[in-house]
Order: sequence, then C-alpha cells, then structure tokens
Amino acid sequence: MNCEVCQLKELVLEPLEIREVLRCVLHTIVFHRALGLVRPKDVDCELFEITYVHCGDADLDKKIEEKIDQFMIWVEKHPNRKCQVSLSFYEVKNKQPTWFSNRIERLYWEQWHINLHVVTPKTHGKSHHSKVPVNSEEDVLKESSSRRAALEDSLREVLFHIIKFVNDKKDHIPPIPNNEVISFPYEISIPSSSDSSFGWHTDVLKRMLQTSHPSMLS
Amino acid sequence: MASSPFKSASEPAVLEKLITDFFAKSVHVILESRSSARNYNAEPFNSSPSSSPSLNIRPGEKRINLALRDCPTALESFDMWRQSNLEPLVLDIVLDRRKSIRNANCASPGGIFVRNLSSGRDEFGRLNRSETIVERWIVQYESQSISQPGRESSYRGSKKGSRATYHSSEFQIMYKKAYRKIMVLLRSLYVMVRLLPTFKLFRDLNASGQVHPYILSHRISSIAEPFSREEDALMSQHDFGQLEFSFGKLSIFVAYLKTLEDLSSGPSTPISTEFIMDYVGSPVVDPLKRLLSLPTAGSAPSHASFSRQHSWSNDHEETPFSPTPSPTYSDSQALYHNLNPCLPPRYILPKNSTTLCSISCVSFAGNAKNISEYWPSPPFSPSSSSPSSPTHPYSAFSQSEGASVSIPLPWQKGSDGGQNQGLSPSPYYKSKREGRPSQVDTLRAQENTTSALKKFSPENKPQLKIESSRFMEFQTSMVPPKIESTGRELNSLRTPYSPPQISSRSSSKLSFMDEFDDSDFICPFAEDDEVSNSFRVESAVSNDCFAENLCPKKSMAIRRSPDAAVGELVWMLRSAPPLRLNNSNPLRSKQVFKDEVSSQKNLQGRIENTKEDDLNKVDGTLCLDITASDLFKSRTAADAFKELQTYKNIRELILKHGGS
Repeated sequence: MNCEVCQLKELVLEPLEIREVLRCVLHTIVFHRALGLVRPKDVDCELFEITYVHCGDADLDKKIEEKIDQFMIWVEKHPNRKCQVSLSFYEVKNKQPTWFSNRIERLYWEQWHINLHVVTPKTHGKSHHSKVPVNSEEDVLKESSSRRAALEDSLREVLFHIIKFVNDKKDHIPPIPNNEVISFPYEISIPSSSDSSFGWHTDVLKRMLQTSHPSMLS
Repeated sequence: MASSPFKSASEPAVLEKLITDFFAKSVHVILESRSSARNYNAEPFNSSPSSSPSLNIRPGEKRINLALRDCPTALESFDMWRQSNLEPLVLDIVLDRRKSIRNANCASPGGIFVRNLSSGRDEFGRLNRSETIVERWIVQYESQSISQPGRESSYRGSKKGSRATYHSSEFQIMYKKAYRKIMVLLRSLYVMVRLLPTFKLFRDLNASGQVHPYILSHRISSIAEPFSREEDALMSQHDFGQLEFSFGKLSIFVAYLKTLEDLSSGPSTPISTEFIMDYVGSPVVDPLKRLLSLPTAGSAPSHASFSRQHSWSNDHEETPFSPTPSPTYSDSQALYHNLNPCLPPRYILPKNSTTLCSISCVSFAGNAKNISEYWPSPPFSPSSSSPSSPTHPYSAFSQSEGASVSIPLPWQKGSDGGQNQGLSPSPYYKSKREGRPSQVDTLRAQENTTSALKKFSPENKPQLKIESSRFMEFQTSMVPPKIESTGRELNSLRTPYSPPQISSRSSSKLSFMDEFDDSDFICPFAEDDEVSNSFRVESAVSNDCFAENLCPKKSMAIRRSPDAAVGELVWMLRSAPPLRLNNSNPLRSKQVFKDEVSSQKNLQGRIENTKEDDLNKVDGTLCLDITASDLFKSRTAADAFKELQTYKNIRELILKHGGS
C-alpha cells in the first residue's frame, strides 16, 4: 500500500495564532478520515472568519490540544523558526518480533505535513526607544491586520488543499477496522524538544524502525 | 459501517439505495447551511459530545455515517427531485430579495408609493425580482452499463436493476470501497459548504433579531441553465472529482460567487422607505440646474455649497449628490455577483438602464459604501431616457423623484448656500409626466421663453415680470449642471415619473417657461402682489431708474451677470413695440415707464457709471413691476422723439459697454 503524503502550504504566523491554526487544520484532516458515525460540530475560529468541523470525539479533541500545548512549548524555546507538525494515519499490523523490529508494525498510508513559520511580532518597546512618531503604532496595527488577513487567506487555501487532496486520492484508504468515530489510528508529530533538526530526524528513524516498509515513497 | 445491506436486498437495489442516499445526503448537507433558519431544526446539534452516537442517532441519520440536523426543506426538495429518477440534480442557492421588499413596502408610511423605475411595473417594484444565484451545486450519477472485459463477475447492473452474475464477496468489497469513498466525499462536501462565502451570508441572515432584506432560497431542477459570460466571470468553481465504480460514476460540482461579504453585512434594520409628498422633480428638467455651472460673478463657485434643505433631504446626511447607490442591502457587492438571471453581488439590472442606486435619497446611507463596491457607478448619460425596470434591488427604494438638489442661484451670493431668499430655487412642475433629457428641456425652455415673452396683455402683467426674470436667468444658465445633481438627473432620466404638485415656493424660472403655454399654469406670484412687487432684478449694467420710480417698494438685490442684464435690455429694446401716437395703447404703455425722460437720463448715467463700478456689484434696481396705471400716459410727439433718442443712446451705451 502506498503512503500518500501531502505537503501543505507554509503558514506564516505568530505564536498567538498557532493554536487556532493547528486546531483548524488538524480537525479538518481528521474529520475527513473519521469514517465512523460522526455527528459533525461547527466551530468558529476566534481569530479568523473560518468555520471548521469537529468530529465530536472528545478523545480526539484532547489529544490535539495536548499536542498543540507541547508544540507551543517548543516554539517558546525555538522562536522565529520554521517547523513542521505532521499528522499520520497508519494501520497496525501484528508481526512476529524479530531482532530489528517491534511486534507491532505500523503501516503509514497517509501523512500530512503542516508547515509553519513562526515569527515573533514586533514589540512596542522598540518603537518607543526609536522615538518613532505616534503614527508608527497605527502602522503596526495596519501591518498586523494585513498580516492577519493574509494568514486567513493562506489558511483558507490550506483547507481547500486538504479538500482537494482527499478527493483526488481515495484508493489508498484501507478498510475500516472498527466502528469507532475515528476509524483509523493516527499520530501527531511535533518537533522534538531537543535540537529541532536532529530531533526531527530522530522521529523519522524511530518511525522507520517501527515499520518494515519505507514510510515515504513519494 | 452501517449494517450490511446485502441481507435481504439484491445488489442492484443496494447500489441504487446507496446512490439515492448519496444524493439525499448531498442535498441535506448543502441545504442544512443554506436554507433559512425556519427550515431546519435549529436545536443544538451536538448536545452531548461524550454521549454515544448510537444513542442519539435517529435512523435516517445513519446513512453514510454522517448524522446531520433535521432539514425538512432538504427532505422535501429531494423528494421532489427523486421523482426524476436519479437525473442530475442541480441545486441553485438563490439570494432573494422579493419578500423583504414586500414587507418593507407594506410598512412604509403615507399613501404615496415609491415609483417603480420600470415602466409598467408594480408601483412597489415587486414585480422586478432581484434574485442572485450565489451557488450552483450539481450532483450527478452516471451509470455504467458496460462491464469491463475480463471481469465477468463485476456488476453490470444499471439503476434499472438488471441482474448480473457476481460473487457476493467481491460485490461486498466493491460496495464497501464505494461506501468509503462516498463518505469521504460527503465529508469534504460538508467542510466545503462552510468554507464558501455563502455560509457567512447564511449565518448573518439567520442571526437572531436581525431583519434582512434578503433571504436565501433554493431551487432544485434537473437542468442547469447556462450562465452568461459575465456571470461566469464572477463565479468560481470547484470540482470534487469523480468517484468511479464498476457500476457508475458519482460527481459533485459547485460554482459559487467569489465574494459575498458585503451582502452579509447588510442592514439590520427594516428598510424605511420615505415618501416625499412635495416632490419637486428631477434636476434634469429643473431649469435652475442649468444655472449651477454658470460663472456668475460673485456667486458661490461650488454648487456643493448650496445645500438647500429640501423636503426630501431629511435624512440625507451624506452628500445628496453623491453617486453612491442607496443601500437597501449592504453590499454586498461585494456580496453577490450574479448568474443567470442575476449577477451577484449586483442585482438584476436591465441592459438599458443605469442603476438607480446612485440616488442616495433614502435612508440607507449606512450601506452605501458597500453597495457602491459592487454596483458600478451608473453612466450618467442624458441620452438614456428610457425608463428601466427596477430589477435593481435598490430601485424600489430609491427616490427617483425626490433626490435632494442643491441649486445655486446665480443672483445669489455664494455664502448663503443657496438659501431661499424670496425666490425658491426648487423647480416648478405641473403634475404630469415628464421624463425628458435635460437637453430637450433646455430647448423647450427656450421655445417657451420666446413664445411666452411675446404675450403682452394686461392680464399677463404679473407674468411679464416673471418672463423677464426667466429670460434673464435663462440667459445666464448656459452651462449644463454639474455632477452634483447627476444622480438626480440620472434618476429622472430613467423614470417616467409624474411630477408632484406644484410647490408654492418653487420658482424655477426655466420651468415656468416650460409651463407657460399651459392654460393651467398658475403663476406663484399671481396672487401675491407683494411678492410680485418685491421681485426685483438688479443688473450690473442696467441703470434703469424705472425700478426706482415705479417700484418704491422693497427691492431685492439680485446679482446678475452683466451679460444677462445686457441681454435683457437688448431684448427689451428689440421687442419693444413701435412708438405710437395713440397714447392710450396699452401695449405701448407697458414699455413706457412712469417718468421716461428722467428715467432714461438716469439710465444713461448709470450705464456710464457702470463702466467704472464693479460689474459684479448690484448697483441699482430694476423694477419690472409694471402696473397698469403707470402705463397710460398721454404723450406728445416731442416726448416720443425724445424717448426715441433716449433709447438710441441707451442702446449705444449698452452695446458699447457690452462690447468692452
């Protein structure tokens, strides 16, 4: 089975916007893969004029919030950096334990990479020190609003990209294993607390050891 | 997944049910977030997130594992479509303004209706519906009757249910795969519906406590009417792709308006249509409008400064001449670009018409800006005289006749803002239809002026004064009015309206000329001798002392251009009847002043002094108040000759002065 990978458009955002953006994207992706009996729930973004959909599964909401919190901690330690949050769907297959593999095998059949570029907003203290006239605050507000609008447009594009991807590729979806709301097991990966690049590679190696097939074929 | 459908039903029936459920669910997903609030169960959808879905799921909701709120409209609509035997389902989401117009008009006060801008239409304009297709969803299924070679066990059946040989296990696999794809498709449809601009409009329209002039409705059919090129240009499209199965193909396609945001911020208060009782007509036929751009010496340079408060300008905080449309709906132009038959965010507009929304006379100023974004500025062409059907959503509310007009009086100083100072600048119209371009009215005015001025009779003595004043003003009004009154002008061009009753204070002189030949014409000054006597026209050139001697009453300082004064005097001289020995001739008497010799001498003196004075200043008074008693004077031949000589001298001076 092929593993379909979807690289979403990079979103430039501030730390305060990370939570809303990740909620919107992650819930939208999971909703498309929650093939159990779902009672969708509309959620309005607090920062954007976007309404996304929740599956209505409390466990899912909890897991997503936990991951977002962890990611926020990481962002605080690594400000102004480009990072990636991944959402992967896999199948669990039992396998005979060997020397190089675990008993449980995960077959990733789909991976979503949410690319983020977290930027630190300009503080007001700088403007005071530079003796900038009062109009600079207005300019900052205008710049902030324009940036927020651009982010909203980008986020909308990302959602459209998700919709397009899920409709273009359906053949790789495995059979539904259970009657749960979230039909397929999933995994949300964030950059490691250690060095970002090294930590990311560690996660990839760890995933590769868990599976006998390459995790990324495209 | 739902219980196996293979227990009792045959495979064709199972597939047909799957397809039918797909169609029903699609309609349900779309209309759940597109129909008005009354059409669906607005109860909290997810009352208990932690509760087991199976306990709260009604039987119908289990279809395709997507539990939705009850939407009777969707069910009814789908039932109607179901009869078409699974033909392509075309679902148009329409933004309709009809009901709101009806409600608003019924609530309007007064007995005067707002004239519909289209000819032959309902006075309330309800016949001109304003519908905008904001979305068009096409859901279709193409059965595949030809099976692929080599796959004998594949299902060949069509919706008609032809039984074919198959293995149940393979059919189950195929069915489950199709089921998964359909579930994914419906989920993406559910998400997509909430990302489109119409969803926000839907939320705004269904907001509690808000009264919007628009409602979202829908139409289901099997045929999709093609859009025009313009409509296509305004639409964006999204194809959900095709789900290919061995038994057929399923597809969903949507075309939607790109921007609907402005309409979503529509007015939250009911439309308050204002009815103007004392309509004074459009500036197009208002002769005073022609005086706007005249370079009157000393007068206010900008017509905008003459903000005369008319009866129709009660709530017009905005510039009455602003070309922004009257927003009965917000915008949203941005809101809605239109399809066939309508363009969203614009509304239906006849091809030969310009939007009447440019008239900002109604109290929809709050959304004028929004509307202007989507409603292009109308081409202010005086040639467009044909009335337009008010398919424009604002047409029924725009005051085609009652647009506020700021008419600067050429004889007035600019600082007064065009306030009425004895002569009301508002036009004077008979209560009859007039919908001609301003150019035609100008010609008519000229003709009427000439014919009117030829009438000299004792009975028309009050009119003589008016005629003279009219002529003066007509002479000064040689430049078309400026843009300030364009909206009103445009409005009047487009509407075959019937001018309201005459305003007693209106004194549009050129309009008087138009009506001069009318036997029913009533001179506003006819019954008011004081007004007529106090009507004075000052000329920078004319030093006629006639006024001083014959009009001892108050004189109104009126600024006039020297050209106008010269023209008037020249006209007077040219049109003066020949001198006659019969002194009792009343016609002659009208040309004679009480003390002609002295007045003529004074006139000569004044003409000479005028060369030194500022022509823009009003020096003397010219009283045209000619009474019968003053005209009848016995004269000798010597007096006549003296008078003739005086006239000649005056003429020479005037011509000389005019030439300089």
